[in-house]
Amino acid sequence: MLQKRKNYLIAYMFLLPWFIGFFGLVVGPMISSLYLSFTQYDLLTAPQWVGAQNYVEMFNDRKFIASVKVTTTFVVIGVPLQLIAALFIAMLLNKGLSGIGFYRTVYYIPSLLGGSVAIALLWKNIFGMNGIFNDFLGIFGIAGRGWVSHPDYAIYTLIALATWQFGSSMVIFLAGLKQIPGELYEAASVDGANPFMKFKAITLPLLSPVILFNLVMVSISSLQVFTSAYIVSEGSGGPANSTLFYTLYLYQKGFSFFEMGYASAMAWLLLIVIALLTAIIFFSSKYWVHYEYGGKS
Amino acid sequence: MKKFLSVFLLLSFIFVLVACGGSDDASSETDGGNNEESGSGDQGNDTGNVSDDQIELRFAWWGGQERHDRTLEVIELYESKNPHIKITAEYSGFDGYFDRLSTQFAAGNAPDIIQYGGNLNDYVSRDVVLPLDQFVGNELDISLHDETMLEAGSFNGSLYGVTLGTNAWGLLLNKTLFEEAGVDLPSEDWTWEDFTEIAVQLTENLDGIAGTEYFDHNGFGIFIDQKGKVLHEDGVLGIDEQDVVDWFTLWQDIRDTGAVVLPEIQAASSTTPEQSMIVAREVAMQLIPSNQLGAYRNATQDELVFHVHPLMDGRSGIALRPSQFLAGYSETEHPEEVAKFLDFFVNDLEATAILGNDRGAPVNSEVRENLIAIANETDSDIFAYIDFISRTSDSPYVPNLPGYNETEALFKTTSEEIAFGQISVTDGASQYFTELVEVLERNR
Repeated sequence: MLQKRKNYLIAYMFLLPWFIGFFGLVVGPMISSLYLSFTQYDLLTAPQWVGAQNYVEMFNDRKFIASVKVTTTFVVIGVPLQLIAALFIAMLLNKGLSGIGFYRTVYYIPSLLGGSVAIALLWKNIFGMNGIFNDFLGIFGIAGRGWVSHPDYAIYTLIALATWQFGSSMVIFLAGLKQIPGELYEAASVDGANPFMKFKAITLPLLSPVILFNLVMVSISSLQVFTSAYIVSEGSGGPANSTLFYTLYLYQKGFSFFEMGYASAMAWLLLIVIALLTAIIFFSSKYWVHYEYGGKS
Repeated sequence: MKKFLSVFLLLSFIFVLVACGGSDDASSETDGGNNEESGSGDQGNDTGNVSDDQIELRFAWWGGQERHDRTLEVIELYESKNPHIKITAEYSGFDGYFDRLSTQFAAGNAPDIIQYGGNLNDYVSRDVVLPLDQFVGNELDISLHDETMLEAGSFNGSLYGVTLGTNAWGLLLNKTLFEEAGVDLPSEDWTWEDFTEIAVQLTENLDGIAGTEYFDHNGFGIFIDQKGKVLHEDGVLGIDEQDVVDWFTLWQDIRDTGAVVLPEIQAASSTTPEQSMIVAREVAMQLIPSNQLGAYRNATQDELVFHVHPLMDGRSGIALRPSQFLAGYSETEHPEEVAKFLDFFVNDLEATAILGNDRGAPVNSEVRENLIAIANETDSDIFAYIDFISRTSDSPYVPNLPGYNETEALFKTTSEEIAFGQISVTDGASQYFTELVEVLERNR
């Protein structure tokens, strides 16, 4: 018994650094932000309790509603695009090309770089008024626009930037594709199935657990997107609030407009929305995710 | 071999994580005092040489490369004259400067000496700015400072910030483009009608270059003065919704002639002179504060002239304004040393000669005379313009609206919504006015 307890002690000792980080940097700040979300707090003077006022105010705040719209557009269009791009490239790479390691690395690189400030700046220049995208359009005689700075198009350049960062989903898809037994495809070929039928009847069902995983991960990260919009719009969410992502508005409220209480309330609402969305995806997975061993689970 | 590989991979992974996490540090460099390189803005850091009897002061400002170079030189000069003081410089561009400051205040570790803009009042009202009254006449000499500029740094009867310079808004005209278009430079008593006509001519005669930019919230303040009104007094508005409608109608009419740059070009432009529209030859006229003339001229081969804003009913609407303030942190451990440094920064002849006009024309009359005596061409132009404004304009200095960050963002967004045709002038003005009142209410 004593021996057992001693073993636990050693285990806890090893876990201690993680516990310190978890409680000091995650749980502690979360609890204090929950408290702050019920206060008016300007960062510089002491917070004042205002009850649920921050949560109520959100629904009358035009910029808040704009930020929800922008983020929803980004998730609804961006997440499927990102998953399709990742799956498409993963299937190409799964064809058994020579030098696959090289291609895999090349296609993975954007997801390492994509979140960085430098790439956001690059994007801003590519899709700017005098950017190479407009030069490219000029070849076909199409007059370009300031894609990043026009409210009708700015969000789509950011969706394109997110789609370009498909690398990590792609690697996971690739691993999933490798798990699918080759005999299944051979059997299907013997039965005269065309590539599309094979994809629909074999690849998609057997890959569905991996699709579920990627869907959850990409959805969560899309709801939290910040850097690209911050850099492209210089922190303003402009033009005309067209790139005002939820997290960008949260940041503005907290750090530029001195309303940390409101920003904390926004953060908690986002947490709840992410939790709900994830729950819905998991609940729906019963109907479309197929587990190979032991049938549907 | 395998073990070696996995260790290598792990190390490189950690390196990537560290590299990503450390990107913020690039904007705040510590300046290594006696290090010769520091004057050029390339930071060689040696922070480890603070001994016990030395006092360390942290000094934060924003600006472009030229301001960084000049300020670092002054810091070095101060350190060589006061060997017991070590000043750590924390400087960056304007983007994110106040956001970082907010977090530092919240954490209680803000710099001892801080550069503010017209938003000083937002910080004074939150009790984070050191009152300077007790040092006046001792560590800090303000006897030669302009009365109006001392008032600008005073709130509720106490002095909180020393004004770093006097500024006046004006129009920057690209003379080279005017010549290419065959358009004469305007006279000193030009009107909005003349302005529109010139902008139209420029646009027609220049290929792909617009006559003017849209003047945004800074122009709006001038416009309100031209109408004989005062934007606000202590956060109480002196304007009504119709004034906002008039402003947006004025610009909608100019925009309809095609003489205003496309809103998507203006939205993508930057406040940094080097990346401005006039330097990029997108526009031929732009509204700028006088202290930035030098930075704009240095950024282009084109000849730029600084000209008075178009008049309305004979009023230019231009007031002499404080450019920036230097103030202390209320929680600083060395308030006297902070006051001494402020004094040096605005009164010392050697220091102010290094700083020049970069933060506006000096407010200390003796320092100003000294600078006029040694002025180069750009500085002379600035002094001449300031002098012209002080002779011809009686417009009062109106401080920024309280909650400056938010009210400015609101005006910019409304302007963009109207310019991109998402909302009509009357609806936009009404929406702006309603929300402005709400923001002011919150910042009371």
